[in-house]
Amino acid sequence: MAHRMTTLARTSSSEGPWRRAWHQFLRQRSAIIGMVMIGLLASTAIFAPLIAPSDPIDVLLNKEEGIKKRSGPCIHILGCPAAQPQHIMGVDGNFRDLFSRIVYGARLSLLIGFVTVAISLSIGTLLGAFAGYIGGWLDNLIMRLLDVVLAFPFLLLAIAIVSVLGPSLLNAMLGIAIVSIPAYARVIRASVISAREEDYVLSARTIGAAPASILFGHILPNAISPLIVQATLGIGTAILDVAALSFLGLGAQPPTPEWGSMLSAERNQVFTAPHLVFIPGLAIMVTVLGFNLLGDGLRDALDPRLKR
Amino acid sequence: MDKCSTAGRRVIAGSLLLMLIVPVLAACGSPPAAQVPTKAPTAAATAAATAAATVAPTAAATVAPTAAPTVAPTAAPTEAPTAVPVNTQAVYTEGALLAVTAKECGNGYSGNLKAITAVDPATVKFTFCTPDPAFRAKAAFASFAILPSEYLTSTGGTGDLLKKPVGTGPYQIESWIPGDSITLKRFDGYWGEKAKAETVVIRWSAEAAQRLLELQSGNVDGIDNPAPDAFAGIAADTTLQLKPRPGLNIFYLGTNNAFPPFDNEKVRQALAIGIDRERIVKNFYPAGSEVATHFTPCAIPNGCAGAAWPKYDLAAAKKLLVEAGFPNGFATTLEYRDVVRGYLPEPGRVAEDVQAQLKDLGITATINVVESGTYLDMAAAGNLKGLYLLGWGADFPDMTNFLDYHFGGGASKQFGAKFDDIVAALQKGASQPTDKLRAPFYVEANNLLAKHVPMVPIAHGASGVAYKADVKGAHASPLSSEVFAVLDPGGRKTFTWLQNGEPAGLYCADETDGESLRVCEQINESLLAYEIGGTAVQPSLAESCDPNTDLTEWTCKLRAGVKFHDGSAFDANDVVTSWAVQWDLANPLHKGRAGQFTYFSALWGGYLNAPPAK
Repeated sequence: MAHRMTTLARTSSSEGPWRRAWHQFLRQRSAIIGMVMIGLLASTAIFAPLIAPSDPIDVLLNKEEGIKKRSGPCIHILGCPAAQPQHIMGVDGNFRDLFSRIVYGARLSLLIGFVTVAISLSIGTLLGAFAGYIGGWLDNLIMRLLDVVLAFPFLLLAIAIVSVLGPSLLNAMLGIAIVSIPAYARVIRASVISAREEDYVLSARTIGAAPASILFGHILPNAISPLIVQATLGIGTAILDVAALSFLGLGAQPPTPEWGSMLSAERNQVFTAPHLVFIPGLAIMVTVLGFNLLGDGLRDALDPRLKR
Repeated sequence: MDKCSTAGRRVIAGSLLLMLIVPVLAACGSPPAAQVPTKAPTAAATAAATAAATVAPTAAATVAPTAAPTVAPTAAPTEAPTAVPVNTQAVYTEGALLAVTAKECGNGYSGNLKAITAVDPATVKFTFCTPDPAFRAKAAFASFAILPSEYLTSTGGTGDLLKKPVGTGPYQIESWIPGDSITLKRFDGYWGEKAKAETVVIRWSAEAAQRLLELQSGNVDGIDNPAPDAFAGIAADTTLQLKPRPGLNIFYLGTNNAFPPFDNEKVRQALAIGIDRERIVKNFYPAGSEVATHFTPCAIPNGCAGAAWPKYDLAAAKKLLVEAGFPNGFATTLEYRDVVRGYLPEPGRVAEDVQAQLKDLGITATINVVESGTYLDMAAAGNLKGLYLLGWGADFPDMTNFLDYHFGGGASKQFGAKFDDIVAALQKGASQPTDKLRAPFYVEANNLLAKHVPMVPIAHGASGVAYKADVKGAHASPLSSEVFAVLDPGGRKTFTWLQNGEPAGLYCADETDGESLRVCEQINESLLAYEIGGTAVQPSLAESCDPNTDLTEWTCKLRAGVKFHDGSAFDANDVVTSWAVQWDLANPLHKGRAGQFTYFSALWGGYLNAPPAK
């Protein structure tokens, strides 16, 4: 009898939770759009040297005939005079090809998003898991510390951290990573606490499994799906926040082609050369939108309660 | 699982919170606590603190007795009382007519001013150690404005004085809301022609696009420094008028010879010919700007004496770097402040272009943007260790305003140790009576600048001022000192002006920033003044200032019937006091905002009672 039930159970779940989530995910149009956007962005980032017509920090003055500072987009097949060099997104205030800078900026932005989230995710998961699993005074200590971090305005704390460490892209990423830790820690702590009381944890404990192996082998794998959603949304937020820090001059330093700093550098040209302001802005927007759509889709797919 | 009792948890949580909160509170509480010693002292202590505050800045200077101050005076009271300046050099004549005299020229006193004497209530005599032909141009400058001696005394030379200056000008201050605006109102007791607009509101924004937008939308009547790319649009707009401001300024790439590798003259010489200056001016400056052939603009007498700056030659520059021992270049910083000035219309773009050009030379420069006020203080204190972008706008059209301020004996440590040959040439040049006699010394000084390369002069930048079309009397001053009193904003009661930045303080004896000076000039007046929209010197509080035959004595006849904003009468004693507080470090009123009084030392050669050079 017992044997048959196990078999049955196995058959009914033959699709597997991940596979089911994938199917759920494919059913949402916005999630697909998000995924395609991220896919395009990722391939742009990977193949940047092949796509970009020139080096993103190369000053083309004296190298190209007829190049004009802050000239608008010029595409020859769309009727731009042949005498003017082709720059499909125009030229920036330092005679650099904007398209190349945007393409390389994609590489940088994705890197920023993933590294920032990776840092805060790993620290946040560890803290949250220990707090949730061990509980008691450790839980109190960790969570109150994180509450303190949360009590500061997000960006202000990041600015404070970067000001202490010194302005650089790496420090900006570190700053944003540190202030995002509490979000991950809280999510994982909540999942761990609810998983802690599950029967399979009890059985693992009964057969004498070590606490560490229970936490990492049984609880965490089952508590991870909200974290995936949080992390995906977090990548978008991280890109936005690092761009904000770069806009303020605390992140990427010139001549690095970072979207936020590109936007900041030409902010006073919003009327005279709007392409220099709007294109980097759009790039940030599209990227963040892509991650947000993807994250929302993942949440719907991974959360069994939201099943339609 | 073992669980603490609820009470236990609360205790732990509570104590944790306390641990976190207490240091925060302590930190918040400490700044006022730290300020207590500077505010609390009793009479005797005040005197000591005052003395310490006034001398400490120069005590830190090591190069020359008159080197510019490096330490903020607020920090001074904690320093050793040995720094108290004892008055050994100044002789004060008290009584109905004041006078201050330097005991002797030289012998520890490096300045050129010998005495200021109130001859009678309407006459002041300035005596110099050596002839000073530029006296009139210098004395007209905003730093040497006359304030009522009673007000200087009652404020103690600082405090209210910085925010609420009292002067004789066509406008008096009504309010200053920090971070927002300054409001001036017409002074009806003004001795000259009354101001046209009843009220002047001065606001500021660092963003050129915002300034233009506010002008276009009608929020303000005039703006300073629109972006070069916007010039054509403003000129074409019938609701606006553009007043171009000629480039009576210099933008340069600075070095400091106290820090390697810029202590190596060959490295500096490589920079001199390794930067394509023409490319910068052509691409980042508005029409009317010029590539600098000399540190001083040619419009200033003797400004372009001597050989023109050597031509751009990348190969030769690289060769010089190899000779200097840097075949593979080096890494350094490139610092600037993100503030638009007439001499630097696009700081960020120029910085990145210089960075790219340095890369061609093999020099890797990391760009570092520093907050404006901090940046100027760092420059004055000689703390900009790498390359830096800075400039200078003329205060008055004389060589001394450019060369002596930067490279003379009284200059700050901005470029590191001084070059004795330049100092000597400038000293001789400043003491000749005519421009013709001064010429050979400025030929020498300019040629020496090209040889030692303390900086690379790049551009004399044209800039502009934009007004609404209905503003009458619109003008741009080559000295950046537009006079608001003559502006009639189309019959409206209020003239609103939007400039680049907020003044640091309004006691301009102790300010150097143009944003402060322009505001001061509406409120305070000097003995002489510059013509509106020009550089010629004309009478102001003094009806005349005439020299004796060898130019060592200048006698100024003061205007009669002039009243200060507070109602007190203007007389010769006010002149003596206003100058003496700047001149004498031991004067109890020598305080100001930062206690630096940079212009005084730079233009008149030095202070009284300065500590001896080490």
